[in-house]
Amino acid sequence: MRFGYGVLALLVVALLTFTIFQPIQVLPRIGLGPGFSFVDQNGNHLTNEDLRGHLVLYTFTYTSCQGDCPQTSRTLQLVQAQLDQINTRGLPVDLVTISFDPARDTPQQLAAFAHQLGADLTNWHFVTGEPAALKNVIGSSFGFYYNQAADGTFTFDPAFVLVDGVGIVRAKYRTAELDLALVQRDLELIATEAQNSQGAARLAYEAAHLFLCYPK
Amino acid sequence: MNQQIAEEPTRPSQGDINMPRTPKSRYTLRRFWQMRSLLVLAVAILGAGFWWLRPYQFHGVYLQSPERAPNFTLIASAGAPVQLRDFQGKTVVLFFGYTACPDICPLRLAELKQTMKLLGEAANQVQVVLVTVDPLHDTAAHLKRYVSAFDPSFLGMTGSPAQIDAVATQFGIFYDPEPANVGTISHTGTITVIDAAGYVRLLFPAGLSTAEMAQDLAQLIR
Repeated sequence: MRFGYGVLALLVVALLTFTIFQPIQVLPRIGLGPGFSFVDQNGNHLTNEDLRGHLVLYTFTYTSCQGDCPQTSRTLQLVQAQLDQINTRGLPVDLVTISFDPARDTPQQLAAFAHQLGADLTNWHFVTGEPAALKNVIGSSFGFYYNQAADGTFTFDPAFVLVDGVGIVRAKYRTAELDLALVQRDLELIATEAQNSQGAARLAYEAAHLFLCYPK
Repeated sequence: MNQQIAEEPTRPSQGDINMPRTPKSRYTLRRFWQMRSLLVLAVAILGAGFWWLRPYQFHGVYLQSPERAPNFTLIASAGAPVQLRDFQGKTVVLFFGYTACPDICPLRLAELKQTMKLLGEAANQVQVVLVTVDPLHDTAAHLKRYVSAFDPSFLGMTGSPAQIDAVATQFGIFYDPEPANVGTISHTGTITVIDAAGYVRLLFPAGLSTAEMAQDLAQLIR
């Protein structure tokens, strides 16, 4: 009997060690990313299924965004420039800028905007779609507000969302200026988990989710 | 080892004459061996305990979403509007498809039928729902006939195109008419599981066996 208590105590200590020292850290699986079919800067369709198996960083804007308007695309420019220094263990990373102004942001306009930013279009997509679909994706699914004023300008929450290869939201950043070190850490955490969570190691990673071993 | 001890010359004892005396170094050595076997035993029991108490490993993708699944209202195959919230207390297995679907939909519905069979009595606590991605053609009556052919307990749901759009988007489901194949719609084939409290808990991507899905569902219901 006393021996049983001893084992139980050891188990509790081991669990506490796991939760306190967090030998493995994971990003939480926050919720489902949206399903969509948008049109990109070349007039081609881009769907969430095209991005399956990729790590995707989304942001939202409109190309007539000037002056005080939060420049989320400039931030993605910095992310793209830094991508080659991030070890995603072979997992492709894609950047998606969604415009919520389809009336003015035609594919041609999006292409011009991308050119102006010097974006590398191999893994950076500039997309838009029907107003209702945009509201479903940005508003209902990702949960970010935007609204057009009478003068045509938009007010919106500058934000970025990180979605994993299975289509699950892993991080949301409510800011116009991303901390690049933070993005790098998060991309690497997801990539490491994707690479390692097979066989016995998967048990450890799932345990890390269960015990909420999330980074601070 | 024992022989060595037996060969040890007995020395005159200072205390009890019946007590064989072992030199101190040998005594601690034996203690050490005893301790070591105890230690091995403890580690073995600890390992077994961990194995016994190890968390169940889901075959599908497990989510600990802090937010409830988005609620929706659609027309059920019985003809009346039904909300997702109406199913609280039951585990909902959500799949998107359409009745004219040539390949993946009948395949996955047949898999779900088999999964329900494997679940046995626990299947009472599960509601399988097919939401159509072809609301222009799939009426409630049409859907009812279609899903009943797989399992009478399955429910079909339809609505206006705008409603279907909103629901599909929020559950991560893409769908688009195939340009090359008139009448067919390509769509995401993932199955989403919402627990009895209304949270998205599991994703079943294509490729899981019916036994694996049944095990996961049984674990979720428990």
